[in-house]
Amino acid sequence: MKAAPFEHHEPSSVEEAVSLLESLDEPLVLAGGQSLVPMMRFRLAVPETVVDINAIDDLDYLRETDDHLELGALARHADVERSAAVAENYGSFADCAPLVADPQIRNRGTVAGSIAQSDPKGDWGSVLLAHDGEVVAHGPDGERTIPAEEFFLLPYDNSLDDAEIITALRVPASGDDEGSAYHKLKRKVGDYAMVGVAARVRLDGDEIADASLALTAVDITNVSVPDAADHLEGEVPSGDLFERAGELAADHSNPESDEHGSAEYKENMVRVLAQRALADAVRRARTDDPAGAVGSDQTAVGDD
Amino acid sequence: MTEKEITFTVNGTERELRVEPRKLLVHAIREDLDLTGTHIGCDTGNCGACTVYKDGEAVKSCLQFAPQADGSEITTVEGMEDLPEAGMGESDLHPVQEGFHEMHGLQCGFCTPGMMLAGKALLEEHDDPSETEIRQNISGNLCRCTGYQNIVKSIEYAADVLAGREPPESPVENPSSGVEATADGGEPDGGRTDGGRPLDLTREYPRGDGDE
Ligand SMILES: Cc1cc2nc3c(=O)[nH]c(=O)nc-3n(C[C@H](O)[C@H](O)[C@H](O)COP(=O)(O)OP(=O)(O)OC[C@H]3O[C@@H](n4cnc5c(N)ncnc54)[C@H](O)[C@@H]3O)c2cc1C
Ligand code: FES
Ligand code: FES
Repeated sequence: MKAAPFEHHEPSSVEEAVSLLESLDEPLVLAGGQSLVPMMRFRLAVPETVVDINAIDDLDYLRETDDHLELGALARHADVERSAAVAENYGSFADCAPLVADPQIRNRGTVAGSIAQSDPKGDWGSVLLAHDGEVVAHGPDGERTIPAEEFFLLPYDNSLDDAEIITALRVPASGDDEGSAYHKLKRKVGDYAMVGVAARVRLDGDEIADASLALTAVDITNVSVPDAADHLEGEVPSGDLFERAGELAADHSNPESDEHGSAEYKENMVRVLAQRALADAVRRARTDDPAGAVGSDQTAVGDD
Repeated sequence: MTEKEITFTVNGTERELRVEPRKLLVHAIREDLDLTGTHIGCDTGNCGACTVYKDGEAVKSCLQFAPQADGSEITTVEGMEDLPEAGMGESDLHPVQEGFHEMHGLQCGFCTPGMMLAGKALLEEHDDPSETEIRQNISGNLCRCTGYQNIVKSIEYAADVLAGREPPESPVENPSSGVEATADGGEPDGGRTDGGRPLDLTREYPRGDGDE
C-alpha cells in the first residue's frame, strides 16, 4: 500500500525544523525512516507533512567528551557499531548496535529515531536507561533535557511535545571502573528482542558502587529495575549476588505470552540474561575490555 | 500534493524525475527508470530483495521515499558490470556476479540482486571476510530458495578475485575439483552423471529413441 499523500520538507537547521513542526498541519519528523516509512505505508501514521531532518548536518555526530558520550539525532546504528570510542568504553552500546535489525537498516536507522519510536521492543531504550542517559529535545521554547527515566510513557508514546525534536542523546562518560553489557534473546538474526537486558556497574575497589539494569520487550515500555540496583550496590560481585539480582529483575518484569514464548519462559530468560549481562559488565569494569564479550543469546525457542 | 524534482546518478547516468513525495525509492527505480532488477519481496524491510548500493552503503530501497535520493549516487544490479571492478575475474562481469555464476549462488534468482549488492558493500570494507562476517552481512536478505550455502561461497569467491587471490574452481563447471559448493546445495556432485559439462543450449538434441 502507498503512504497517504504528504508534503516533504527538508529543513537545514534545527530552528527551521522546529518552526516547520510548529506551523504545519499534522507534521512528523522523518529521520532514518526505518520505522516511519512502513508505518506510513500501513497508514498507522498519516502525517500531512513530513519534516525530513537528514539535511541538518549539525545533527550528524557521535562524540565522547570528558563528561559525556553524545549521539546527535542523525547518528545511525552503524555509526555506533563502527565507533572506536564506543568499542573502547561503552560495552552495552557496542553489544547493542550489531544486534539491531540488519546491516542495511543499521546504515539508515538512527538511535534517536529508535528512542523517539518508543517501541517497548526497541533495544536502545534499555541501554539509555541503564546508562542514566538523557534525551536532549529542542522545541519552540528552546532546549530541554529529559532523563531517560521520565521519557517512555506508553508503547509508542513518550514525553516529547508535538513541536519538539530530539537533537541528541547523552550518557555520562564511562570511567575506567565502569562496565556495561547488553544481552538480547531473539528468534533469528535481525529480529526484535523477545527479551533484552542492559546492565551497567561501577566498581569501587572490590565493591559495586553503582549498578543499573534495564529490560527490553517485557513490559509496556523499556523499564529499569531499581530493586536489583539497590540489591547490588555496596556488595562484592558474586554468582549468588547476580542470581538474586536476576530474580528481582524477573519479578519486576511483566511479559506477555505470545507466539514466541510464554510469559513464564520470558520471565525466566530475564533472570538468565540479567545474570549474564551483570557478569559481563563486572568483567569489563575490571579488565577494561568493554567489547570483549558477545551480548547475543540467539537461542531460538526450543533450540535445545 | 507538490511533486518533487529529483536528480540522481543511477548506474553512472544522471537521471531526473518528478515524483510524488510518497513514492518509494524502489518504485522510482523499477517503474520510472524501468530498472526491474531491483526486486520487491516483502514491502516491509524484512527481505532485502530491494537492496541497492547508495552513496557507499547498502540500503533497502523500500524503506525510503524517492525524494530522499535527491543528489545521491545509486548502483543497482544492472550497473554492476560497468563498475571499475568488473572484469577483474575471468569474465567481464563484476566479481560478485561472477562469483554467483561460478559458485551457483543463484537458484530462482529472486533474492540475487539484493544479495549481490549487500555482498558488494561488505567487500568494500573487508577484503577477506570470514564466513561469519558474510553470513551476518546478508542477514537482512532472505533467500526463499534457502540457498545460503552457495551464496556465501559466491561472496567468498568475489573476495578472492577482488583481493587478487586465486578463486576456487567452480564446482558446477568442474565437479571433480573437490570444492564443496554444489549445484543443489546438497551432496557434492549433486548426483550428476554427465561429467558436469555445461548444457549447450544452441545444440539440437536428438528426439525419438535417443540413438544419434
Ligand atoms: C525489519 C526491521 C527490523 C527491525 N529490528 C529492530 C531491532 O531488532 N531492534 C530495534 O530496536 N529496532 C528494530 N527495528 C526498528 C528500527 O530499526 C528503529 O526503530 C529505527 O531505526 C528508528 O529510527 P529511524 O531513524 O529509522 O526513525 P524513523 O523511522 O525516521 O522515525 C521513527 C519515529 O520517531 C520519530 N522521530 C525520529 N527521529 C526523531 C527526532 N530526532 N525527534 C523527534 N522524533 C523523531 C518519527 O517521527 C517517527 O515517529 C527494525 C525495523 C525493521 C524494518
Ligand atoms: S522489499 Fe524491501 S526489504 Fe523486502
Ligand atoms: S535464489 Fe530463489 S530466492 Fe534466493
